[in-house]
Amino acid sequence: MFQKFEQAVLDGIQSASRRKIILLGTLVAFILSVMMIAPTKMVLAKMLPGKNNDTFTIYVDLPNGSSIAQTKEVTDCVVGFVQKENEVLDMEVFLGMGSPLDFAGLIKGSGFKDAENVAEVVLNLSKKHDREEPSYFMAQRMRPLIVQGCASLFPNTTISFVEPPAGPPVMAAIVAEVYGSDTDGIRALSNRVADVFKNTEGLVDIDVMQDDIYDTYEIHVDSAKVSRSGVSIKQLNDILYLAFEGMQIAVKNSDLYNDQIPIYLSLSKESKEFTSKDINAVKYKLASLKLMNEQGMMIPITELVSVVPKKSNPTIMNKNLHQMTNVMAETDMVSQVYPLMEARNTILDTFSDIYEIEKIGLFNLQLTNKKSGLVYKIIWDGEMEVTLDTFVELGAAFIAALVLIFLLMVIYYKSYTLSGIILLGSFLSIIGVIVGHWIMDIFTHDTFFLTATSLIGFIALIGISSRNSLLLIDFTKSLMHEKGMHKAEAIAFATATRAKPIFLTAAAIILASTLLAGDAVFGGLGVALIFGTIAAVVASLVIVPVLLFNADLEKHFHFHEKKAVSIFEP
Amino acid sequence: MKHKPYIPTDSAGKLAKTFLRNPLTIILGIFLLSIGYLALMVMPREENPQMVVSGSTVIIALPGASAAEIQKVIVQPLERKLKEVKGVEHIHGRAMDNVGIVTAAFYIGEKKEDSNLKVYDKIMQNISILPHGAMNPIIKPLDIDIDIPVLSVAFFSKNDAMSNTELYDRVKKIQHHINGLDNVAVTQLKGGHKHQFNIQVDLGKLSGYNLSMGQITQAVQALSYSVPAIKNTTKENTIVMVGVENAIESSKDVSNIIVASYMGSPIHLFQVAEVTDSYDIQNFKSATISVKDANGTFSPMKEQVTLTVSKLQGTNAVIIAEAVKEELQAYKESLSKDGISYVITRNDGERANEAVNELVFHLLLSIVIIAILLVLVLGWRESLIVTFTVPAILAITLFVAYLTGQTINRITLFAFLLSLGLLVDAAIIVIENIHRHYHSLESVHETPDEIMIKATDEIGPPTNIATLAIIMTMVPMAFVGQMMGQFMKPIPANVPVALIASLFVAYIFTPYLAVRMLKKPDHTEKGAH
Repeated sequence: MFQKFEQAVLDGIQSASRRKIILLGTLVAFILSVMMIAPTKMVLAKMLPGKNNDTFTIYVDLPNGSSIAQTKEVTDCVVGFVQKENEVLDMEVFLGMGSPLDFAGLIKGSGFKDAENVAEVVLNLSKKHDREEPSYFMAQRMRPLIVQGCASLFPNTTISFVEPPAGPPVMAAIVAEVYGSDTDGIRALSNRVADVFKNTEGLVDIDVMQDDIYDTYEIHVDSAKVSRSGVSIKQLNDILYLAFEGMQIAVKNSDLYNDQIPIYLSLSKESKEFTSKDINAVKYKLASLKLMNEQGMMIPITELVSVVPKKSNPTIMNKNLHQMTNVMAETDMVSQVYPLMEARNTILDTFSDIYEIEKIGLFNLQLTNKKSGLVYKIIWDGEMEVTLDTFVELGAAFIAALVLIFLLMVIYYKSYTLSGIILLGSFLSIIGVIVGHWIMDIFTHDTFFLTATSLIGFIALIGISSRNSLLLIDFTKSLMHEKGMHKAEAIAFATATRAKPIFLTAAAIILASTLLAGDAVFGGLGVALIFGTIAAVVASLVIVPVLLFNADLEKHFHFHEKKAVSIFEP
Repeated sequence: MKHKPYIPTDSAGKLAKTFLRNPLTIILGIFLLSIGYLALMVMPREENPQMVVSGSTVIIALPGASAAEIQKVIVQPLERKLKEVKGVEHIHGRAMDNVGIVTAAFYIGEKKEDSNLKVYDKIMQNISILPHGAMNPIIKPLDIDIDIPVLSVAFFSKNDAMSNTELYDRVKKIQHHINGLDNVAVTQLKGGHKHQFNIQVDLGKLSGYNLSMGQITQAVQALSYSVPAIKNTTKENTIVMVGVENAIESSKDVSNIIVASYMGSPIHLFQVAEVTDSYDIQNFKSATISVKDANGTFSPMKEQVTLTVSKLQGTNAVIIAEAVKEELQAYKESLSKDGISYVITRNDGERANEAVNELVFHLLLSIVIIAILLVLVLGWRESLIVTFTVPAILAITLFVAYLTGQTINRITLFAFLLSLGLLVDAAIIVIENIHRHYHSLESVHETPDEIMIKATDEIGPPTNIATLAIIMTMVPMAFVGQMMGQFMKPIPANVPVALIASLFVAYIFTPYLAVRMLKKPDHTEKGAH
C-alpha cells in the first residue's frame, strides 16, 4: 500500500504529461466550481438559513384608524386557524400592544406598539425533538391559509410571521428604503415598490412602513365667538377630551390595592358613540355637549365651532436626516438575494414610464420624476445589506488570512515559491466547499445555502490545508537534507509517509464536523469543513507534489550544492 | 551500551523533556481537568452570545401639533443635535401628530453606558432648542439584557366570576417577590386591568339638568383632596394628632357627590352618571391565552396577565429560571384555590440549557467517534492518549473563556466543535511520530524516554508553524464588524486559545502518557515496515 502509493506519486510527478493532466484538471475543476455559484446558481448564497424554533409570533397590523374590536376580529380568526394545529401547546394574543420583547421584536419595534390596530399572537410549539415539522415549514404552511382567511376581513391588513432569527436579528429579509423630499412622492413610489414585491415570487409578508391615510374630522374653533361667549379655548378642548376620551380627574390613595385608584370621568359608552361615521353624526353629538361660561350660562359647543372633514396626518419618517419610507418583505424559505435582484430588474424595466432611472452604488437606484424633476432613491437594507456587509467583511478576512499565511510561510521558508505552493494548495479547497454545498443541496429537501458560516469554515480550512502542505514540504526538505535523497524520491517518500497523518487528521476533522453539518445555522460550516478537507487532502497529496516537483527545490531550500543524483537520472 | 542523550532543539522537545518524568505532570493534568469542569458549571449559559447593542430613544410630546409641525420643530433639530454624538451609526426620526420620536442607534460594540450618557448629555445640553409648549423629553436607553425578558409566565383564571382586576392584583403581589430574587433585573406585567372608579355620564341627563362636564370635574376634585394629619400639643405638652378622613373612600362616596343644585334641590352625581368600582375601561390593551389540555383540545381564549422577568447582564439565565419556578411553586396552591393557574410561556434558561447540553453531548460524541477512528488506525493505547488530550484542551479553553468573561452559548460550543477537528491534530501528529519511531529499526537501541523526546522534538517546528497558520486565519475574523461579527466573536476568541492549548497539551501529555502506556515492540524477530 505504502510502496504502491509512493510509486504512484513518483510516476505521477516524473511524467510531464501526467503533470499537465493533473494541473489542467485542477484548473477545470476550479473554474467549474466557481461557475456553480455565479452564472448557473447551482449553489445559492444566503446569510443564515432558517432555524427550527419552539416558538414563533404572528404580527397582525390593521390599517391605521382601525378599532380594537376590528383588530380582535382578525386575531380571533388567526386563533381559529392556529387552534387546528397539533403541535401548538399554547397561544397568547396581545391586543393593542407587543408581546414580551424578544430578539426579533427588538429590531422590528415590537416594544413600541401601542395602538388599537396592532396585535401579536405568540405560539409556543412542542419541543423540537418531539416534533417532525420544523417551525419554518409550519410557518410556511400556515402563512397562505391564515393570510387568505384573515387578512381579507379588512382591506390593507398585513399578517406576518416572525421567527426567532438564527443569527443577528434584522428588520426584514428585504428592506427597500425609499428616500425623497416630498411625502406624497415617497408614498406613491413606495406603494409601487410594494406592488413589485407582491408580484415577485418568493416574497411574502410585504409591508410598507407608513401610516394609511384615513378620514378624520377636524373641529375648527371660531375664536371670536369663543371670546364673546365668555369661555376659553382650553375649557373647550378639555371638555371635548373629557367627554369622548375620558380623563383621570382625581385619585384615591388606598392601602388595600397595589396602586392608587384613579377616578375616571367620561361620557357613558351609549351616550358618546356616534351613530355613524359621517359629519352629521359628529355635529349632532357635539350639539348636545355644553360648556358653562363665566356667567353660568350653558353654551352648546356647536355654537362655537364648525366641523370639517379632513385626511389624517401620516407619520413622517427620517433616517439619518433624510425623509424616507421602508418597504419590507420576508422571504419564503428562499435566499433574499435572488428575489431582490428580480424585483430590482422589474423596477428597472417598468418604472421608466414616470421615472428616469440611474444605478448608484452596487444595487441601489436613483429615480428622477420626469414631470416634476424630483429625485428619489431606493436603497436596499435589511438582511441584504447585512449579508453584503458580512460577506464582504468575511471575504476581506479571508484575503487577510491568506496574506498572513503567505507572510508566515515566507518567514519560515524564506522562499516565495514554496509559500505560493502552500497558498495555492490551500486555496484549492474552495472546490470542495462549493461542490460539497451542491451535493448537500441535492440530498436535502430544502435548499442548502452557502452561508456566512460556510465562509468561516472556508477560512479555517486554509489554515488546515496549509498545515498538510507544510508538513509535506518540511519532511521532503529533511529527507533531501539529511538522507541525501533526490527531489522526486524525496517528494514521493514524504507524500507517502505523510499520507497517513494527513488522512488521520482529515478524518478527525470530517468526523468532528458531521455533527455540525446537521445544524441549521452551522450546517454550512460543517459541510465546508467536510468537503473542503477532502479537497485539501487531494490537493496536498496530488497537486502539491506536482507543484513541488516543478519548483527548483534545491534553490528554495537554500541548499548550496546538489545533494544527490537520482537513480532515475542518466 | 552508552550513547549521548538526545538534546532537544525545539520548545516541543524541551517541554516533553521537562514534564516526561516530572511527578507534577499528573497533578497538572488533574488540575486542568477540574478547572475546566468548574468553568463549565459556573459559566453563565445563554442560547445566543451577548451582543453589545446600544441606542437611545428620545420621545418629546408637543400636544396639538401636526406631524408636519413636529417634523420641523422637534424631530429635525433633535436629529441634527444627535448627529453631533460620536459613535452614532443611524438616526431614525418619526414625526406624528402630537409627538416626535428620535432614535439614535450606535455602532455595534459601542459601550452601552457611555452611549446612553452621551445621548442624555446631548439632549440635556440642548433642552433650550425645544419649542415652547413641548413636554419634558423622555429618554429611553436600549438595553438588551433588561429589555428582553428571559422568562415569561402567563397567569389566567378558570373562575369566570373573578373580577377583571383581581387577577392583576394577585399577580402584582407575586411580581414583587419574584423581583426580589437574585440577579433578577426587571419584572413587568402585561395585560390585566387596574382598579378604577368610573364615572360614566349620561349625556341626555346631563343636558336635562343643564349641567356641564366641567362642573362634575370640579365637584369631584373638590372632594378628593387629602391632607396629612394635623399635629397639635395640649397644655401638658403632649402631642395630639388630628387626622382628616378622606371624603372619598368608596365608589359610593363618589356617586353621592353633589354636583350642583337645581331649583333649590341638590343634584347628586348618581343622578346624571353611573359610578362603578371597576377597572380601567379606557385601556384598550388586553392579553388572552389559550392552552391545550391533556386531551389535545384548546381552551377558549381567557384573559391573562403575563409576568416577564429579565436578568442582569452576565448572569446565568438557567439559575434564574429555576429560582423563579421554585418561587412560583410556593404560590401554586393558594392560586389554584382561587382558580388561578399559570403556564410558563417563555423560558430562555431552559432553552439555553437544552442547547448547551445538546452541544456538549455532540462534543462528547465527536470525541468518541474520533477515538474509535484512532483505535482502528493507531491502536487502542495511542487512541486513549489522544482522547485524553481533548478534554484537557477543552478544559483550558473553557477556563480561559471564563476568565475573559464569556458565556457558554451556542456559538461558543460551535467554536469548540470546530476546533475539535483541529485540536486533535497536534496530538495525532506527535503520537504518530512516536509510533513511527517506536517501530522503526533505527531507534531500537534508544531508551523510550529518548524516543519520546526526539519524536516530539522532530515534529515541533512544522507543527508549531502549522498551528500558527491556523491561528493566523482566525485573527482577521476577530475584526469582522457588524452584528454578524459580534455574533461570531466566540469563534475567533476561542479557536486560537484551543489551538495553543492543543500544542502545549500535545507536547507535555502525549509523551508523558505514551512512555507509560505504549509497549516498545521487539524488533529482533521481524523488521519494521
